Amino acid sequence: MIRKMSHATIFVNNQNEALEFYRDKLGFRVHTDAMVGEDFRWLTICTNDQPDFEIILMEPKPGMMMDEETVQQLRSIMQKGVLGAGAFNTDDCRGTYEELKAKGVQFLSPPAERPYGIEAVFKDNSGNWFSLTQPR
Amino acid sequence: MVKRTDGNVTDLETLQRLGRAREFIDHCYDHPLSLDQISEKACFSRYHFLRLFRAAFNKTPHQYLIERRIEKAKELLGGDELRVTDVCFEVGFQSLGSFSSLFHKYVGHAPITYREKVRQREQAKRQVPGCFLVMYKLESA
Repeated sequence: MIRKMSHATIFVNNQNEALEFYRDKLGFRVHTDAMVGEDFRWLTICTNDQPDFEIILMEPKPGMMMDEETVQQLRSIMQKGVLGAGAFNTDDCRGTYEELKAKGVQFLSPPAERPYGIEAVFKDNSGNWFSLTQPR
Repeated sequence: MVKRTDGNVTDLETLQRLGRAREFIDHCYDHPLSLDQISEKACFSRYHFLRLFRAAFNKTPHQYLIERRIEKAKELLGGDELRVTDVCFEVGFQSLGSFSSLFHKYVGHAPITYREKVRQREQAKRQVPGCFLVMYKLESA
């Protein structure tokens, strides 16, 4: 029986820039930041409430798994913001919205009432979309 | 007779003879090898051999030999059985000084730093789920 998810990947343009965004703007904690291969940086972050759920900030790079063409395709899909999305929870959507907006996080929609709670939508600095949800 | 096109050695027999010399380096890199010894395997005079080898493989026999030694040294430094000094002599270098500086030149780090980095990488790798290791070719399936 599968119990829970422990790792998930978010593709980012640049690991340094993503780290700055997720750590310094969103307030995530760095779980692991280590070179695993000569040119392979294993960078994972987590929230304080879920220290055992690692979000992998992965750069599409040629060589390891993808050829140059695949990298370009993936980057272009990321840029369009259609690679996929995620949803984060908060206790205070409006407060967090103001806080993140002040830090320069780009919101696609401000907090609004939804059937399941209050929700705003923002983009990370690689073009990935996320919901910021305060559940009912 | 050796035919050349744009600096490339194309004559099959010459290539075979050069290949024999290269294999000799592959097998005996851990011994002190002279150009005479290596060129002898290809049955060419040393300077003629040197020119042909460089034209065929884009490096001198000496460079090829050093690369083989560095490659082996990296492998041995990745394990922890041998001290750096032992690795140096094991792969055929005669002095720790030239080993260290050549290693630094080819790899970008001193041998001891390289060993430390490999250890850190191995340590870090233990935290990475297998699917990622295989997917990113850090380990074979």
